[in-house]
Amino acid sequence: MEISNLKSHLLRGDAEFWMVLKQLTDEAHDFEEVFTLSSLRKKAHARNVSLPAAAPKKIRLAVVGGYSLYPLHDLLEHFCETQGTPVELWQGDYDNYISEIMDDDSELYAFAPHVVFLLPAERRCAYTGHLTDTRELPQAEAQRTVESLLDLARQVNAKTRAEVITTNFMLPARHDLGAFRSRTLGSDWSFRKWVNLELGVNAPSYLHICDLEFLANRLGGLAASDARGWFETKQLGSPSLLVDLAREAAQLIASLKRAPKKVLVLDLDNTLWGGVVADDGLEGIELGDTSPRGEAFKTFQKYIVSLKQRGVLLAVCSKNDLAKAQEPFQKHPEMVLRLDDIVSFKANWEPKSENIRSMAPELNLGLDSFVFVDDNPAEIDIVRQFAPEVTTILLGPDPSDYSAQLADCRLFEPRRITSEDAERTSQYRSDAQRKALEATVTDMASYLESLQMESVISEFVPVDVPRLSQLINKSNQFNLTTRRRSEAEVSAVMHDPNFIVFSVRLKDRFGDHGLISIVIAEIVGGTLNIDTWLMSCRVLKRGVEEEVLNELARLAKLKNCRSLRGIYLPTAKNEMVRDFYGRMGFTLTGESETKREFELRLDTFQPVPTKIKNLRRAYEPS
Amino acid sequence: MNQAEVIAKMQAIFDTVFLEPVVLTPAISAKDVPEWDSLTHISLMVSVEKAFGVRFRVGEVENAKNVGEFADLILKRQQER
Repeated sequence: MEISNLKSHLLRGDAEFWMVLKQLTDEAHDFEEVFTLSSLRKKAHARNVSLPAAAPKKIRLAVVGGYSLYPLHDLLEHFCETQGTPVELWQGDYDNYISEIMDDDSELYAFAPHVVFLLPAERRCAYTGHLTDTRELPQAEAQRTVESLLDLARQVNAKTRAEVITTNFMLPARHDLGAFRSRTLGSDWSFRKWVNLELGVNAPSYLHICDLEFLANRLGGLAASDARGWFETKQLGSPSLLVDLAREAAQLIASLKRAPKKVLVLDLDNTLWGGVVADDGLEGIELGDTSPRGEAFKTFQKYIVSLKQRGVLLAVCSKNDLAKAQEPFQKHPEMVLRLDDIVSFKANWEPKSENIRSMAPELNLGLDSFVFVDDNPAEIDIVRQFAPEVTTILLGPDPSDYSAQLADCRLFEPRRITSEDAERTSQYRSDAQRKALEATVTDMASYLESLQMESVISEFVPVDVPRLSQLINKSNQFNLTTRRRSEAEVSAVMHDPNFIVFSVRLKDRFGDHGLISIVIAEIVGGTLNIDTWLMSCRVLKRGVEEEVLNELARLAKLKNCRSLRGIYLPTAKNEMVRDFYGRMGFTLTGESETKREFELRLDTFQPVPTKIKNLRRAYEPS
Repeated sequence: MNQAEVIAKMQAIFDTVFLEPVVLTPAISAKDVPEWDSLTHISLMVSVEKAFGVRFRVGEVENAKNVGEFADLILKRQQER
């Protein structure tokens, strides 16, 4: 037990006390252990053991509920402080929460809390009717239970502007009704589950659920309940459950103030696969469903991909030869992760701390948003010492636990999950990186260069027709004529020899943008009339416009055209391209309310250089 | 196990919990030890139950007036097993 070590720090009064305290608290599971740590913490405050950094301002936390809040309050205070969000605590009286919340003049409101933690009484969450009632009755009562809880939260928030945290309800752990419990909504088991579900999905954004059902389930229903504790001192659950509950609430409070981590930096050998690729070779590493160890590593990779889908950026940091390190990503059939999943790939012989440090400006993120994962304690130690802002995770000895270790690390939890948020996260990812890069490079040209853009220009092909038609029909802003076309009409121009029709796909180091630009042009005499020119705004000003013009000019010359003719048809949404042809070097030849006409002579036209590497041109064999 | 042995084993638990050393005797009680407040008490009870592998019945711990009586209670519950 390192508590003796902590005690000696305390008796010496050195600031290292706080670091050891946090570490021991993070590792502690037993109630008495946390309690001992908490009492040492209070003694350290009483002795004025100097804090390592300026202490953050205390959050005013009010705790109210249908249980004794003693000794829960002490655990709460302890976990909040060790998680970096110390609190000033106000406790309501035992089972007085309803009147404390209803009464505008209660001490609760005089305290002016920033956060209110509500622990509603379990005994008020039960169906009062008969077990054989039709399901509409318990359902309606569950709804009323949820409504009254939501109403309490609403009142608190309206009167204080505080964030509200509420526990939901533990499920009974006794056999009681036997199998019948799940056949009726009237049993405590089903009723509370129903209430918990309704509460969760109906909670407004200021209300955060401290999921007691989950916590008790994780601990084990029997281990979580404690009848004696209720009779003696009105405890909500067993001492172990109180520890888990306080830790969870502190985590919720901390997450109100702190953003989740953004980047997961991964080691390779014995982290993503078993063995050492440089020694064992591509065929020798353990990865894939044919062996238990191989399956464990593959499952870990799948979990990592799920983090990526939530918006976590993935990076690699490995002591390796770059080519050898990348080989499995490119060639191993069982690899789940691919090179384009990785935003920064460092495989070299520099210290890992330096490699991770260099990623921060590259992604324009603070080092404190990085998490580093390795199976080697020495590498973890180097990063802890020389890049202490980075959070480190030392993987345990058994790869079958790797996924669970990450799933329990609590570093990548989204604050709120709505589909809009999830989408925003994924959009943010590439865009923010691009912007970040924009900020770190000195000029636009080198920024565009660094994007490593690649385009593929293709004449219309049958397999693309649905996508072409979709884009033609939804594109509004960068669309010179806004002429809509059905799939049949797209097919028609595709087969018409008088038309030049092509699309552009674009990729960069952050991702594949897919089909982003479409052109339909008709050869009329010696002129190529641009019927349709549209582009996705996401790739504006990256050189795609110029690439399209170059391609138009090239194809026009092949068809012996002497000029390009473009028109702009104004709509409510395409103002941004009103002067587009002018900017591209065309001459204005006619103008009216409803139409602007432009022309570009091709005899003097020179292709415009861009930073896009063109992999294929239209009407050429690929 | 006799009372003295139980108290000796309790001593180790108390040494972990308390910052200032406390020498346990049968006559000593919470009011004699400044650090032994109600919070510490809860922690001590949980530790004792674990260390001795016993579970006290509802309401009986508060009846023990001093360390000696508490040790006797531990012995009584231990003998039942």
